[in-house]
Amino acid sequence: MIELRDLALAAPDGRLLLKDLELVVPRGGRQLLTGSSGSGKSRLLQVIAGTGKPLRGRVTVGGRLLWPGDGALALAGAVEVGLAFARGGLLSNLSLRENLELPLRFRGLPAAEVAARVGAALDRLGLVSVAGLRPHALSASARKHGNLARVLALIPDLILLDDPLEGLDSADRATALEVIREWELDPGKTLVIAQEERDPFSGAVWRCFAMPSPPVLLEVP
Amino acid sequence: MTFLARLGAPVRGFLEFLGDQVHLVLRTLRFGLLLRLGQLPIVGAQIRLQIRFTGLQALALVSGTALLLGAVTLIQAFSQLSGLGAEQYIGVLMVLIILRELGPLLTAVLVIGRSSTAIAAELGAMQLNGEVDALAAHGVNPFQYLLLPRWVGVLVSVFALVVFFDAAALAGGFLVAKLKYGVTFGYFMDSVRQTLSNRDFVATLLKVVLFSGAITFHACHFGLGIRRSQTEIPQAVTRTVVTALVAVFMLDGLIAALFYF
Repeated sequence: MIELRDLALAAPDGRLLLKDLELVVPRGGRQLLTGSSGSGKSRLLQVIAGTGKPLRGRVTVGGRLLWPGDGALALAGAVEVGLAFARGGLLSNLSLRENLELPLRFRGLPAAEVAARVGAALDRLGLVSVAGLRPHALSASARKHGNLARVLALIPDLILLDDPLEGLDSADRATALEVIREWELDPGKTLVIAQEERDPFSGAVWRCFAMPSPPVLLEVP
Repeated sequence: MTFLARLGAPVRGFLEFLGDQVHLVLRTLRFGLLLRLGQLPIVGAQIRLQIRFTGLQALALVSGTALLLGAVTLIQAFSQLSGLGAEQYIGVLMVLIILRELGPLLTAVLVIGRSSTAIAAELGAMQLNGEVDALAAHGVNPFQYLLLPRWVGVLVSVFALVVFFDAAALAGGFLVAKLKYGVTFGYFMDSVRQTLSNRDFVATLLKVVLFSGAITFHACHFGLGIRRSQTEIPQAVTRTVVTALVAVFMLDGLIAALFYF
């Protein structure tokens, strides 16, 4: 599903985060990206999602060449991707419900199916009561769950989660974990999670790539 | 060598900027043509929002400015031409000064001040908040959902605002002409109509299309170029205003040279 060849990544300020990375995640694979804060986990996830450009190298997702190329635009209609952001990622001028509906409506799904999928996802993550609010009016954990709910409603082939459990209290964490475990049990889903520690995804099905530490290797020429 | 490098850097920067503008326009056009029927209502709703903000909400400002400008232009002209049969030149003055030049130009300046700043700030905030990335990652093409509606919305709005600007300026001019010289509405409009040619309509339409493109894509370029922090947003807004104004004045000069030189 994912092929990274000779990949080099730089931080927005130009620091080289990693180089010569070769990573293959098969369809249905479970991949963890671990490392300390600032090591570039989120950046690597963005590159895989096609929203961040690598410094060098080839990135292929579902047989489509993302980099060098058009990034996420190359995936349109070929691979369904669900990306949950560590923070942000919800459109601030739309309500939570509209945020979930937009990608589904853009795909051309019938209104009834959009409503059913969005309703189920909101219900699953306990967000029905705040579905009409805009992101700025939501709590941090509701925004985080909103990101997960959008992925849930999309029913994607490739699920990319950036620090999905960070900053959640025990009840919210349990809800998020339950959803992720369900994806883990589905062999049709490819799952990539970026977070600091392996725990709680330490089972044998999980492959782990630890980002180089310290992340600052050398200055980009 | 250092001197040459210093001399070349801004030229290179300008050419890169032009290249990026062309790239944005061509991709927006390309993805616009690839829109599916089911996506039209979503994009249409965004276009309506843009027209409401850029066009409808600016209507009173633009009309009021134009009314005053039309009146002041004729007051000033008459004060210089009094006793020389100034009323014969009413149509020429209105067409040359207002309809040909100031109408499209001042409308563009007002739209830059109101809307291009808002577009740059909004897109910058969206970029920082990961909203643009979220759209792209989930199959909502930002060229179709963000850029195309803003372009079309600004295009429709600028066209409508220029029409209202010209109409209000003519009304202001007519009021002065009537109060000062007792000119009738029929005489006033005949005078304008005789001076106005098809070339003026074509030039104005071309200005509307090019100005709206410059306004939108300058704002999109600087707004989407924000990457690191919120302090970049006011900088992007300032750059948008300055470069869009320069672009609009340059395009205006180019069209004047092409059509009337």
